[in-house]
Amino acid sequence: MIGYIINRIKSSIVVLFVVSVITFVVLMIIPGNPAQLILGTEATPEMVEDLHTAMGLNRPFYEQYFDWLFDFVKLDMGISYLYGESVTDLIFNALPVTLSVSVFSMVIATLMAFVFGIISAIKKDSLIDYFSRSIMQLGTAIPSFWIGMVFVVYLGLRMKLFPISGFVSPEDNFLEFIRSITLPSVVLAIGEIGLLLRIVRSSMLESLKQDYMDMARVKGLSTSKIYIKYALRGALIAPLTIIGMQFAKLVGGTVVVETVFALPGIGRLVLTAVEHRDIVLLQGLVMFITTFVIVITLAVDVIIMFINPRIKSFQRGEQ
Amino acid sequence: MKKLIALLMVFSLLLSFTACNKYNDISENEQPTNPSAEAKTELTMAYTVDPEGLDPHRTAAASTFSVTNNIYDTLVGVTPEWEIIPRLAKSWKISEDGMSITFALREDVYFHNDRQMKASDVEYSFNRLKDAESPKARDYANIINVEVLDDFNIKFSTETLDVELLKNFAYPWTAIVPEEAVDNLKTNPVGTGAFILKEWVPQQHIILERNDNYYGDKAKLETVKLVLIPDATSMMAGLQVGDLDIIPLTGDQVTMIESNDDYKVLSKPMNAVQIMSINTDNEILANEKVRQAIALAINKDEVIEASMFGYGDKIGSHLPPTSPDYYDTNDTMEYNLERARDLLKEAGYENGFEIKMSLPKNYQLHVDAGQVIADQLSKIGINVKIELIEWGTWVSEVYGAKKFETTVVGHTGRLDSYDFLSRYYSDSQDYISLKTGEVDDLLNQALQELDVAKRTELYQEIQIILANKLPAVYLQTPHTLLGLNKNVEGMEIFPIDIYDYKTVYFTE
Repeated sequence: MIGYIINRIKSSIVVLFVVSVITFVVLMIIPGNPAQLILGTEATPEMVEDLHTAMGLNRPFYEQYFDWLFDFVKLDMGISYLYGESVTDLIFNALPVTLSVSVFSMVIATLMAFVFGIISAIKKDSLIDYFSRSIMQLGTAIPSFWIGMVFVVYLGLRMKLFPISGFVSPEDNFLEFIRSITLPSVVLAIGEIGLLLRIVRSSMLESLKQDYMDMARVKGLSTSKIYIKYALRGALIAPLTIIGMQFAKLVGGTVVVETVFALPGIGRLVLTAVEHRDIVLLQGLVMFITTFVIVITLAVDVIIMFINPRIKSFQRGEQ
Repeated sequence: MKKLIALLMVFSLLLSFTACNKYNDISENEQPTNPSAEAKTELTMAYTVDPEGLDPHRTAAASTFSVTNNIYDTLVGVTPEWEIIPRLAKSWKISEDGMSITFALREDVYFHNDRQMKASDVEYSFNRLKDAESPKARDYANIINVEVLDDFNIKFSTETLDVELLKNFAYPWTAIVPEEAVDNLKTNPVGTGAFILKEWVPQQHIILERNDNYYGDKAKLETVKLVLIPDATSMMAGLQVGDLDIIPLTGDQVTMIESNDDYKVLSKPMNAVQIMSINTDNEILANEKVRQAIALAINKDEVIEASMFGYGDKIGSHLPPTSPDYYDTNDTMEYNLERARDLLKEAGYENGFEIKMSLPKNYQLHVDAGQVIADQLSKIGINVKIELIEWGTWVSEVYGAKKFETTVVGHTGRLDSYDFLSRYYSDSQDYISLKTGEVDDLLNQALQELDVAKRTELYQEIQIILANKLPAVYLQTPHTLLGLNKNVEGMEIFPIDIYDYKTVYFTE
């Protein structure tokens, strides 16, 4: 397994390299000159040219890229020219916000999806099955910004149950921290729950059809043991993969919820970097999110190998 | 399964507990206030875009200046009524030929690092402002000599006569900074202003703290917390639950606030113009009659209603009505569809034509206005194809590279008319200009004319030409709209993009 992980790390480095080249090339091609953007609508072409030179942006592409790459290897992602702060600091300040919301929302989504998914598979075509399938449809269909607005107005403004915006660090006040991330997490969870519930339900149904389930029943095992030890274990692989993917997606994709709830997370930072053509910040963020996705995918694969020995032996054979 | 249910119960208990906690907070807050209690001294205001760093010499962003104006000072200031007043300079003297200006500085000014401010700091700051890296360098190119006469007197000399020179010292980018602190000004500003930066957490908040060592009238507020809230609904909700004392408003939100006695609205015309820029390099749009037909077909009242919910003033030239040099040209091209159709016919476009309109999608005000205009122009057979583009692309492609046919955008925040109008020089290389050269001489004369009344006449002449020749269609001066808690006093709107928290206070 160690060999497999090492191979995956090697290929991840190649992926990161390719991503960094693509990001740099794309940023060079797309319209939007950072110097022009800083100077705004009062600038003359000469002023733009002067600032462009002063920012070092008219150097050859490869020179700018390799300078950046060597610094990155030394874990120096540069200074954001929007904020004037180190990109690493900006990312690590925004990360706890996004991680808190993403983790909390995945916990909510996973709990709901497993509870309703398992029950609706066991009680197929019952009332509870119809109910959970409706949740599935709603969760997928309703846009998260709309749910966010509804929550802000009813739970935040009218009922005053939760703060409307902002993030409180857990070190400052743990209860306020929980309150500040509850609404955004629930909104995000609603967006993720549909897909996850569907996967849990269908995996569980698939698992219940297997021959070993009949065998377990014949052996006279208790119902709960049959469902949890045999059916659920077999049905875990697909949902786990999806949870990993959803979690990785959330870390880079919480822009809407972070905007509605004024949360200073990674998603908003990406948006700001794009809007201001802050190339240094954007490059750092893209590399960070790519690394994060790779690590999560790897972690999920390792977990799945532990759960299902058949996959482990298959991957060993592959090597 | 039992564990799972237990976990869910713990979670819901936690939620209800936190909710109860909030209710307790609310009931405590709602207890009758003691009439003799002192007024609040901590202000919280919302803002929508983070500053581009806090170094006033290294950005052109209004989001930066609205904060830095409270941390740094300039030599002179401007009142909401456009009057130039002393700030770091206690007095000034302009030479008889108008080619130099000498400022006498206050002697009781200290930077936030406790060092006394002297004329050498002013000299250093202006040299830094004229650096290649400074976005505003070109505006100060006419100043060719900065001479320190003694510790508290400094003289600026210009290459050519600029009668509006004094106003150039009131802009927030002319802030005076100490040389020893410039390396970190973007994140650790050190000025002489009425407030000191306590904390800036990008994407979250900025906290300003009163400077007790301030030379002038000290601020009444102890702290000003600026909270970044990009979403308008959340911001409004924040004001209503009492988390925020002041918020920027959009036109549609004004009615919600106006009907409630707990809040008040501050509404004042911006020192800005919203225009529909026309690229006269385009074969069709180069035709003056076509431009006039377009102007006649646009109902500006509808544009103002749709984009600002009526909170805007109609304009007919590139100067806002707030400007002392404003001349009302609204009747030159008043809405008249018949005349518009006739002019289009005379221009040879009886059957209309198709043009593209590139709108900056980050600015809803301009997008809304553009959409109404497109609809209005269709009535005279002009088919407008709208293209929504992201601001970064707009600035580079439309403004920088002039690759556009028409667009809607705003121009803002200058104190003198020359700055507003100089883009119409035929050789200005601006994205809009009057290439026939009709205003060149008038602009040159205005810059040299020492007599204020004569200068105003020259600017009037220019405005009349613009209203007829229409290198752009002039739409409106939108209003700045702020929603305030009823107990907030002293907040004012200035002709440049600044806020001044020094004068703000709570009445209870």
